[in-house]
Amino acid sequence: MNGLKTNNAPNSSVVVPHFIFGAISFFLLAVMLFLSSSNLLEVYFNNKLVAITHMGVLGWATMIIFGALYQLIPVVFETALFSEKLAKFTFWISVFSVCFLCYSFWVASYTILLPYASLCMFFSLLLFVVNVLLSHQKSAIKNWSSRLVVAAIIWLLITEILGTLVALNFKFNFFNETHIHYLKIHATIGLVGWFLLLIIGVGSTLIPMFLISHELNKNKLKASFYFINIGLLLFILNGFFINVSSLIYINWLLIAFGVLFFVSFIFDSFKKRMRKKLDVGMQYSMIAIASILLPIVISSVLILRFNIQFELLSRITIFYGFSILFGFITTLILGQTYKTLPFIIWLDRYKKLVGKIKTPLPRELYSNRIASIQFYLYLIFIILTPIGVLLNQEIIVKLGCFTLLLVSVLYMMNVFKIILHKVKPIENE
Amino acid sequence: MNKQQITEFELKTLELLKSVMDPEIEINIVDLGLIYELYYDGDKKINIVMTFSTPACPLGETIISNIKETIKQKHPNFETVIDVVFHPQWNNTMVSEEGRKILGL
Repeated sequence: MNGLKTNNAPNSSVVVPHFIFGAISFFLLAVMLFLSSSNLLEVYFNNKLVAITHMGVLGWATMIIFGALYQLIPVVFETALFSEKLAKFTFWISVFSVCFLCYSFWVASYTILLPYASLCMFFSLLLFVVNVLLSHQKSAIKNWSSRLVVAAIIWLLITEILGTLVALNFKFNFFNETHIHYLKIHATIGLVGWFLLLIIGVGSTLIPMFLISHELNKNKLKASFYFINIGLLLFILNGFFINVSSLIYINWLLIAFGVLFFVSFIFDSFKKRMRKKLDVGMQYSMIAIASILLPIVISSVLILRFNIQFELLSRITIFYGFSILFGFITTLILGQTYKTLPFIIWLDRYKKLVGKIKTPLPRELYSNRIASIQFYLYLIFIILTPIGVLLNQEIIVKLGCFTLLLVSVLYMMNVFKIILHKVKPIENE
Repeated sequence: MNKQQITEFELKTLELLKSVMDPEIEINIVDLGLIYELYYDGDKKINIVMTFSTPACPLGETIISNIKETIKQKHPNFETVIDVVFHPQWNNTMVSEEGRKILGL
């Protein structure tokens, strides 16, 4: 056999707990957002919103990404994960750290709990980074998708180092600038360097695979890689050493070009797809890719300011964060859960039974009806909530957050339906 | 595969393999065009040259097991040897008319 790399998939016990904790975090995130929806209308740096953001980016998005990445490393790197034991250990440390960190923010314990919580988080992320980088080291594949994933992993580490320093600064006070200055850098590196680059790296492999499209222009990924990484490097240099405010326009242009190259790559894949009808997972994914353009537009408003009043500018900043965390990242994760989790469980349950008994299709492991209802409710949430934020209408925000609560319950129902799937012994015809 | 060049047995085996599905694409592997060659040596040995829709296909191993098990159920004493190749690379022109209808092409 030439080049067949299908024996590298990790044991499902490495991957599945991440999806369980991710689904629970998503539910907790929705509860937190519903309970403190009025905080979405306040200044963006308030302890409740920071707790919600970290539950979203770490407990929900990063945990699902960790689980999915452990499964996808054999696909993207074409090699096995360096250590499954380390991955399992990392999972439990991460669960503790996420809960500890979010609680520290929620109760605003910036000097007593937060420094220790952030050190725990740093340690757990470091273990993940080491595992993935050592997996990449033994991989023979060095294409643009794998380079983008490695770059994202390195940016995750930098994000976490900076986040930990900011947390320690609350107690020891060693930074020259205000913590808001460093938090902006921390947030930008995390959202663009970690999430965006990782999604580009993994998405550029998975989306054409699911759409069944070939002969795509990989130079667009190369351009995306260079534009975004150079933009981020310049952003950090400017934030720490140069401090020239006009450089922010160049940063914005570089990152925007990088994003546009990726969107163009996916659009090509969409045009050349063999599978014309999109299932619910790919519907989510395509909306997510299209919505990536929204934060680009909003960030241009935040940079140019247009003499907008501070209060409105603060709400636009929240809209910007919302558009990335929910419009882009959460939409994509919700969609890709329906593409990856059924396969992980299907492979685990039926790998040794194919040909011997009649097996269901992976998509038959979840309720399509629940997934469809969840999809439309989610659309209501991502439309309603920003409208409420921008118009400063708490009742609309509350209604939007309630629909997210429903979405999270439906999502959890389907995730558990997939995970708890049992083999039904039907004889082959 | 040129059907004129293969025996009736090989044709029947190819028909048999239409029960092996690609679980993601939801089309059988024959209509998907994943089977490049199928050769029966006349002495209980079936040789198959095939590909996957992508080199790192996470379902590759499962598809191979399914092929071997499906043939074993029909011909318990036969040996099936599968060679996976990626040249030529699989593309949509390899999909049969039946497969194209399912994909909506």
